[in-house]
Amino acid sequence: MTKQTHKTDETILKIEHLKKWFGDLEVLKDINLEVKRGEVVVIIGASGSGKSTLLRCVNFLEKAQKGKIYVDGKRVKQQEKQLNKVRQGLGMVFQHFNLFPHMTVIGNVMEGMVHVKKMPKDKARTKALEILEQVGLSDKADIYPAMISGGQKQRVAIARALAMEPEIMLFDEPTSALDPELVGEVLSVMTDLANKGMTMLVVTHEMWFAKEVADRVIFMDEGVILEEASPEEMFSAPKEERTLAFLKQILPPQDDE
Amino acid sequence: MSILPWDLTVIPQRFFQFADAALYTLQITFFGILLGLIIGLVAALGRLSKRQWINSLSRAYIFLIRGTPLLVQLFIIYYGLTSIVTIDPIPSAIIALGIHNGAYIAEIFRGSIQSIDYGQMEAARSLGMTQGKAMQRIVLPQAFKRAVPPLGNQLIIALKDSSLASTIAVPELMLKGRQMGSSSFMYMEMFLIVGIWYLIMTSLLSFVMHRIEQRLKVSDHD
Repeated sequence: MTKQTHKTDETILKIEHLKKWFGDLEVLKDINLEVKRGEVVVIIGASGSGKSTLLRCVNFLEKAQKGKIYVDGKRVKQQEKQLNKVRQGLGMVFQHFNLFPHMTVIGNVMEGMVHVKKMPKDKARTKALEILEQVGLSDKADIYPAMISGGQKQRVAIARALAMEPEIMLFDEPTSALDPELVGEVLSVMTDLANKGMTMLVVTHEMWFAKEVADRVIFMDEGVILEEASPEEMFSAPKEERTLAFLKQILPPQDDE
Repeated sequence: MSILPWDLTVIPQRFFQFADAALYTLQITFFGILLGLIIGLVAALGRLSKRQWINSLSRAYIFLIRGTPLLVQLFIIYYGLTSIVTIDPIPSAIIALGIHNGAYIAEIFRGSIQSIDYGQMEAARSLGMTQGKAMQRIVLPQAFKRAVPPLGNQLIIALKDSSLASTIAVPELMLKGRQMGSSSFMYMEMFLIVGIWYLIMTSLLSFVMHRIEQRLKVSDHD
């Protein structure tokens, strides 16, 4: 299988000199990152390396103390009105799904369309059904999240984010809370999205996904981007010793020689 | 005739003469709790506000009201304010019950709002919702559901506390009991009737609250 890339030359997300502290602890130390439209960037690294924090800073769920973020060439400031607008263009998928338990599956997907985009309900419902179809869950539309599996929940969460027609999708360890047998269905929906040309920023421990789908892999360590490379380079010949040490721990031993 | 010094046969005979009074009890409780729910929600949101003066104001309200007896609050409203404004007994009782229960309900709401996973707020915000919209659409509906059992409890307390309104001449159950007792000298019989009326009303309330809890559980079934 040859990997198809939808990466373009147009910069859609740019992060400059981002710094973030939790109290005295500096969790992001001068992060610089540029993402092109259509690119799939996977961020890997040990827990505590700052990768989730970085992702959460991109849509301002965490506020970085220093640095600049540009989405679509426009500087995003920490100003409520602009943030609400910018966040609509940044779909977020959480580790623990964070579905709205008091709404049905389709209610979850419609919520943003109806109450943020002010779309008429019947139109939103039609569109929600289409998106649910896309993630393979149109038959679960009218039941509550408590009644479906973790993998299905995460697919609904992806559908909920897609309903806002985001330009970038942010995934914060989307399969870490799932039973192993449910990981595949979520990754396949994500692969599908990547193949359709979605710009994606993914924090994950699924090295298979990084290898097969990513255009670029970023290794974070103690709040810095230590290394970035194509998945081929990153997994076969990492330059940094710490990257190698991390990959050795996380990848199964190679037995093809 | 009877071994008891009381004539218990008057209980069924006089029982329904208390119906009007029971209606007053229900009325002041209902409107008092309604007012309390509104004040409670506002005060709870105030307690969760990042704006310091709103937060302090809510905190002060809860501190003052929870720290003083309902009877004192009732007398301040009914007697104390007369030099500025005269409020009739029934509105006085409703206002006192509302303000008093509002402080407890505020704490119930605050607890239930804080018990909702912060990820819910984050998910709502990530869709581009404003803080207020996310509160209204996502957090509060879930918080209300969790608040139902303690609110039921508070409602029962309010119903019984409404008996204090007898002290400012609201013609509710307790006052009726005292009047009927002193005119017939059958205090035991009359207060037993009053007690039975309260018991019936609190039982009905418990039942209704239980049904509401069950209805709200639809989305929880696995």
